[in-house]
Amino acid sequence: MRVAYLAVLLFGLLSATALSQAYPMRTPVPRTTSVPALRGLAVDREIEERFRIGLDDESRGNWKGAAAEFERILALSPAEPKGSTARYDLAIAYANLGRNDDAAAQLRAAIALDPGFLAAMANLISVELARGDLAAARAVADRYVALDPESARALYSRGIVALHAGDATTARADFGKLLHANPSYAIAHYNLALAEERLQRYDAAERELRSALALVPTYARAQFALGVVLLREGRRRDARDAFSKASRDAVADPALQNIATAMRDSIAI
Amino acid sequence: MSSALVVRIVAPVLAAAALACGGAAWAKSASLEDMLAGQLIAADVPAMLGPITSAGRKGWECKPERAASAQGSQAAELPPDPESP
Repeated sequence: MRVAYLAVLLFGLLSATALSQAYPMRTPVPRTTSVPALRGLAVDREIEERFRIGLDDESRGNWKGAAAEFERILALSPAEPKGSTARYDLAIAYANLGRNDDAAAQLRAAIALDPGFLAAMANLISVELARGDLAAARAVADRYVALDPESARALYSRGIVALHAGDATTARADFGKLLHANPSYAIAHYNLALAEERLQRYDAAERELRSALALVPTYARAQFALGVVLLREGRRRDARDAFSKASRDAVADPALQNIATAMRDSIAI
Repeated sequence: MSSALVVRIVAPVLAAAALACGGAAWAKSASLEDMLAGQLIAADVPAMLGPITSAGRKGWECKPERAASAQGSQAAELPPDPESP
């Protein structure tokens, strides 16, 4: 009997606890009557709401709407990390609107506020490349690699910038390191081969291109590059075969297909 | 035909022919180089990383910041390898 009473009592207590459990509201009720404090809470709430709307706009591709939301957030001078984050998100909207100068300025400001902001550095490299400013892209890439030397994106980005700028030695080092962690990444083998080719290390370039083609046999651009390397090595017949295969595989890339066909036809055996 | 005549007439003709052939070979090689110029282009620049919420970049939930420091090519959102049929 006592056990039954105890069970009923316990059930009652648990039910009462469940009924009286308080769930936090999404926006806490202000517990102050101070006007500046109330104003601060209102600003915080506006920032949160505009972040939500801005991110929603970005997910729907409404870049103009998103830019307006993040510009308004910045006008409210948010504290960190919201300040650097709003600038980062605004830069994405600007880049998609083709306003690359403005995007770069926002990303630089975000990094100034938060010097370890790696995602902002990654995006700033893309934006600087789109602006055609190789020196600026290289400066950010150097900083990115210094902060995170094992980051695949840091190594890849600096390698690409170095290839564009003609610094084949840095590109070779970065893609080589990237491949240590990602030996099955065909694109890294291809980029490393380009660096080797520019350093006139044709045997190494050929090896990397054959690795890329072993991973992706229909990689037309790698096949074309192999033709170029074989031509440089004086192996005209092999080069012609490679251009011929590149021409067949480059169905989705008419420009590459045309040049591969022209190369094949211009090699007299 | 005297040897002097050979030296005076045939030799210059042969020299001119050799120069012409050499020039043609050089021109062919130069045109191949012209065709190749700018054709070995680096792979694509990675696409920009996505937006970040008001919580900021710190913490496990921030996917773009994790991608920025990932060591794997896929996790880092690098350009994907071309597909093989």
